[in-house]
Amino acid sequence: MHELSIAYEIFDQVVATAKANGAIEVKSVTLQIGRLSHTNPEQLSFCFKVIAEGSIAENADFIVEMVAPSLECECGYEGAIDEEQIRESSAIRSELLAYVAAMDCPICGEQAHITGGRELIIKSIEIETEEDRTADSNNK
Amino acid sequence: MLMHVIHMGHDVYKANDKIAEKNKKKLDKHQVFSVNVMGAIGSGKTTLIEEAIRQLKEKYKIAVIAGDVIAEMDSSRFRKLDVPTIPVNTGKECHLDAKLVEKALDEIDLNNTDLLLIENVGNLICPVDFKLGEHLRVVIVSVTEGDDIILKHPMIFKTAELAIINKVDIAHAVDVDAEKMREDILSLNPNVPVILTSKHDWESLETWIGFIELGVKEAQKKSG
Repeated sequence: MHELSIAYEIFDQVVATAKANGAIEVKSVTLQIGRLSHTNPEQLSFCFKVIAEGSIAENADFIVEMVAPSLECECGYEGAIDEEQIRESSAIRSELLAYVAAMDCPICGEQAHITGGRELIIKSIEIETEEDRTADSNNK
Repeated sequence: MLMHVIHMGHDVYKANDKIAEKNKKKLDKHQVFSVNVMGAIGSGKTTLIEEAIRQLKEKYKIAVIAGDVIAEMDSSRFRKLDVPTIPVNTGKECHLDAKLVEKALDEIDLNNTDLLLIENVGNLICPVDFKLGEHLRVVIVSVTEGDDIILKHPMIFKTAELAIINKVDIAHAVDVDAEKMREDILSLNPNVPVILTSKHDWESLETWIGFIELGVKEAQKKSG
């Protein structure tokens, strides 16, 4: 379980960026998590909410986009893994295992190098600034 | 409602990778060969590291980083062998990360070190995502963990550069086929060397130790 320390890092980065941009509230946080990483999105979201209590990110929506693995092969192939192969094998195996088993190049069949699918990226945040709020209330 | 979208693109794991790269450069500069020893609780990490230290300490200068939730227990075992040992308490955390290793490196006299053995926290999941700056990633698995353990934890075997199946002398007693374990590892990672070891089989330990020694010699050939 390392979601707590990762949630702390995300929280620190989010709040620092939000404040640097004059935020009074963080409305949402969007993450990209690779399917091959060992991070559990639900646990991460829970930890983030606990940490964010009483902060400007307290009510932020925590949005997670899962990223499929991608490959690079010596034969020159660059791109996605063979989803077909995953669907065939995932009936009997875990999703992670199915992904790992499908790490062969769909063109030449050799073992390919994993180029994506292990990341954990804070993609973007939505914030509200003092001016946004004033403009908002003036419009009402 | 008015809102601003701020694009961040901050990769949490890449941030760790960058520090790991820095650690590796520092070790390279001092011609230190470093090994990240991963594996489950009770797989035999500490024991196999001890055996390596016993056999290699007359030839090479060895230092150890012992990572654990309470690191003092294992590090006292290494200190008994008269090698400098840095205990790294991870507390609640289930893995070592590059930052913790960076800090530990400050406490090691790298000019007087040929080999750095890093024992990771007992866990087959969390250490996978965190590079430390090691030259060799080793995963140790014991037959007592059951012969389905490998396919349950594919990523650690997929990313390992050396795999060890330990305690093979008691495989029969725990009804496990060590050869099936070897096949499972090779199905995930066809080019990884797999060694079957037992504390009571000297030849098997020599293979493991020989592997480390090869790395140390390679590192010493490179100019710092």
